[in-house]
Amino acid sequence: MANENVLIIGGGAAGIEAAKGVSAMGYKAILVEKRDRLGGTPDEEKYAALTPDLRNTTEAFAELMAPIVDNPLVDIHYNTLITGAEGELGNFTIKALQLGKEVEFNVGSVIIATGFKHFDPGRETQKYAYYELDDVITLTDAEKMLSQHKFVRPSNGEEPKRICFIQCVGSRDRRLGNEYCSKVCCGISSKQSIEIKKLLPDCKVYIFYIDMRMYGYWENEIYWPAQEEYKVNYIKGMATEIVKKGDKVLVKGEDTTFRRPMEVEMDMVILAVGMEPSEGTKQMAKIFGVNQNKYGFIETTGGCLDTVSTNVPGVFAAGATTGPADLEDSVSAGAMAAIKALTAIRSLAVPA
Amino acid sequence: MIHLPVVKANERVFKITPEEAPTHDLRDELFQLEKEGELEVIRVPEPYMEVKTKYGRTKKIPLEKTWHHKSCGQCGHIPGYSTSIFWLNRAFGLDYYDPTDQTSCTAWNYYASATSNPEAQAAVAIRNFASAHEVGYFPLIHCGTSFGHYKEVRHALVHQHDLRRKVRDIMKKLGKKLVIPEEIVHYSEWVLAMRDRIAERQVIDMSHITATVHPACHYHKLIEEDAVYESEIYGAQRTAIVTASLQALGINVADYSSWFDCCGFGFRHILVSRDFSRSFSVQRKIEVMKEEANPDIVVTHDTGCVTTLDQSQVAGKAHNMKVGLPVMADSQVAALAMGAHPYKVLQLHWHNTDNKPFLRKLGIDVDKKWAEFQAECDLIKAGKKEYLTWEDAEK
Amino acid sequence: MQQALDLRQNKYSEVSQEEKDRLFQECKDDERWHHILYGCYECGICVAACPSAKFYDFSPRLIAQSVAREDTDAIYTLMNDSVWDCSQCFSCDRCPRGNSPGQIITVMREVAVKNGLQTAKQALEGYGRIIYKIMSTGSQVSPDMLQPNAFPDWGHHVNEIADNLEVWRRALPPETLHTTETGWKVSEKTIIELYLIWHMTGVMDLIQGIDDGLHMILVDVMEERLEEAGYDIEFD
Repeated sequence: MANENVLIIGGGAAGIEAAKGVSAMGYKAILVEKRDRLGGTPDEEKYAALTPDLRNTTEAFAELMAPIVDNPLVDIHYNTLITGAEGELGNFTIKALQLGKEVEFNVGSVIIATGFKHFDPGRETQKYAYYELDDVITLTDAEKMLSQHKFVRPSNGEEPKRICFIQCVGSRDRRLGNEYCSKVCCGISSKQSIEIKKLLPDCKVYIFYIDMRMYGYWENEIYWPAQEEYKVNYIKGMATEIVKKGDKVLVKGEDTTFRRPMEVEMDMVILAVGMEPSEGTKQMAKIFGVNQNKYGFIETTGGCLDTVSTNVPGVFAAGATTGPADLEDSVSAGAMAAIKALTAIRSLAVPA
Repeated sequence: MIHLPVVKANERVFKITPEEAPTHDLRDELFQLEKEGELEVIRVPEPYMEVKTKYGRTKKIPLEKTWHHKSCGQCGHIPGYSTSIFWLNRAFGLDYYDPTDQTSCTAWNYYASATSNPEAQAAVAIRNFASAHEVGYFPLIHCGTSFGHYKEVRHALVHQHDLRRKVRDIMKKLGKKLVIPEEIVHYSEWVLAMRDRIAERQVIDMSHITATVHPACHYHKLIEEDAVYESEIYGAQRTAIVTASLQALGINVADYSSWFDCCGFGFRHILVSRDFSRSFSVQRKIEVMKEEANPDIVVTHDTGCVTTLDQSQVAGKAHNMKVGLPVMADSQVAALAMGAHPYKVLQLHWHNTDNKPFLRKLGIDVDKKWAEFQAECDLIKAGKKEYLTWEDAEK
Repeated sequence: MQQALDLRQNKYSEVSQEEKDRLFQECKDDERWHHILYGCYECGICVAACPSAKFYDFSPRLIAQSVAREDTDAIYTLMNDSVWDCSQCFSCDRCPRGNSPGQIITVMREVAVKNGLQTAKQALEGYGRIIYKIMSTGSQVSPDMLQPNAFPDWGHHVNEIADNLEVWRRALPPETLHTTETGWKVSEKTIIELYLIWHMTGVMDLIQGIDDGLHMILVDVMEERLEEAGYDIEFD
């Protein structure tokens, strides 16, 4: 008799949606989260507003997770880390560590939703001086400030007059080994530009880019308004160095429109850091014997037709666990994973 | 003051993770080729020190039994540079070899004129390495260009088997083997590895000195991964070379906004398009250093860089530009700190920009030292002695 | 190039398409090509880092794009008018696509020299003395090259050195530096080995292509030394 519980590892957007799907179908979801709260990276990094609709992150996630909190079919285990797994589809024995205590779960299928981590700008090929200059920050640093409806220079606490974003930090780079595009950073930078312009209408905002990745409705909902209503300057040309100059920073790049090297002073620079697999994703891949692609993300086996199945029957992966993903991708994959995880268990009950 | 959720840079800690290094370790491939009989690896002799490179790997720096691969520009135009390197080795009683069986790396010619090809460049490199190996010493490269070039050559030989075959055949005709050193080591890495021992023997206080550092492009931009990076220096975001050595001597290393810029040597330009070299080095390097850091001295670790930065200031001065910063190599500064004679050892009279104020600031009696050197020269002129010897240099 | 570089005009229209294509093919046939040129997404990082781009109308991005597009008209123009502006510093190795515009230029220069392009000869005018110095002494520069007419913008100091050269060179502690005509003392055997390398790798032919007179002098000097050293080698 196959075990009909579904283990979901990771309480981010994909994990929450998967738990919702499993419980809505009448099955038990065991949701394991390493932190003491749900919400994944957007919650941990205190994202301010979502892309593209600028909806408040905390409020949106509260709505997302409402159906699974106090839900008898969803067991949420906080401060829990998976340490081992044995068995197969229909009968997995999972070992975990919960606040120093060893616990065990029995489940029929597993959904890995451990997501991503932000790229560490210290490893960047270009010389962006994140570890040397106060006023060089990342997208997540900016989100933290925007959550508090603030935007100031870390060096002196004053409001900046000129800021710029630098795209593709840690992505699209063969020297780094991260050849892929992280999908969301162009949209996030544009969204943050709008938020900053709302807070500081007199601040000049520039975005230095290689290509603007504005899929589908992001083009008209984010990109055009940023340029047209908020007068954000999009400069086609990348920066290679950021150095200190007096009490400002100097950004060195090329303005390809005018075909010349440019060196511009800025009060602040925001690095649009990309996505890499989280430590959790890499760990879970090893524990469950699931294939990873060359970047360390969990590999799915169905190409465009199946974004959640892995090489191990009964083990699925959803959201940024499998590669760069936006929120829409994550919740969609979470729901798909729930259906596939349940289908896999139910298929065992069908007589041969 | 507003309480910010964003920490300042000095509280951000960068952890180097060697597991996330984006490249294969070339040395693994090198040893594999040795196993397959494709080449022979010259191993780093003991004693050696280990330093860290860009992705957190370790690099072995031999302290002794070094074969000094000299630099054309140093030996030709700034011989105090080479002399200071030898002096440091002698001061520590280290066994080193100064060969006559050494050719130029010919990289200056290659980068200037492209009147060569990869086989010739590789054969020249291997011929020199074989020469070192034949006498049982390990190559220590004096010039930044040679260093960068030899790194490229080694990389090409490991990855292109056709090139390897051609070079092996050429070496055979010369009666030599295809040998490649385990590490390509630059002398400034040796100075960095020795910096604490140098500091122990420091007799001239330099704590009131401010210096700007110019890192040679070919040291840290070619085969990036094989340059020295330390977490305590620039948070491992820039190469630690030269900076670490100067800080060990108590020198205050000041930053400036064109730190990463080339000096403007250009290889070809310094000879036949000289307006570029002198304009670039004065406007992009010297003036910026003077304006932003106002250093007592500019320190670098490559022949071309010393030459360009030092000599270009003459033209700058003629145009009333903000110049006048003496330029020296890290080995010269280290030797000076240990009490080496500014003229008999550092040979500062070959440098162009006035370095006397710097020497005086260190409490050195410049006139007396110059007189001592002149006395030796007079003896040579009068035919009373043939050469100034190492013993003469210590007096 | 002191003048503006405009690739829209097909400046070398008198040169045949076959010739332009042939020269580009030589570049592509180079063993290095496949790992110095991938693709280009025109980010401009190479230009941003490039010292020559700040002084000349020079763009490593333009060169990388042109070779990526295989636009042989543009490539031919660049091979003639642009490649000699590069400072060969390799700051452009920061290219996130993994290209090395600097090495692309090195290959283009080698092809230009090998094929005896007039612009290559012009770019290397006045450079022959270095080649002569390496070949005859084994080092690229020597003390006796420090003459006021060779380095006029280095000021009066060069005169001082030239006047004191003999004595100052003797006033150097390292034994190998007691020279004026060479950088350091190089053994005869070493110079001969260098010459043999240049012969075996075709470098002597390259030199003949750019400066026939220099080539003749070098061959005469070196063949004499080979004979004196007892070598009996036939070069075809």
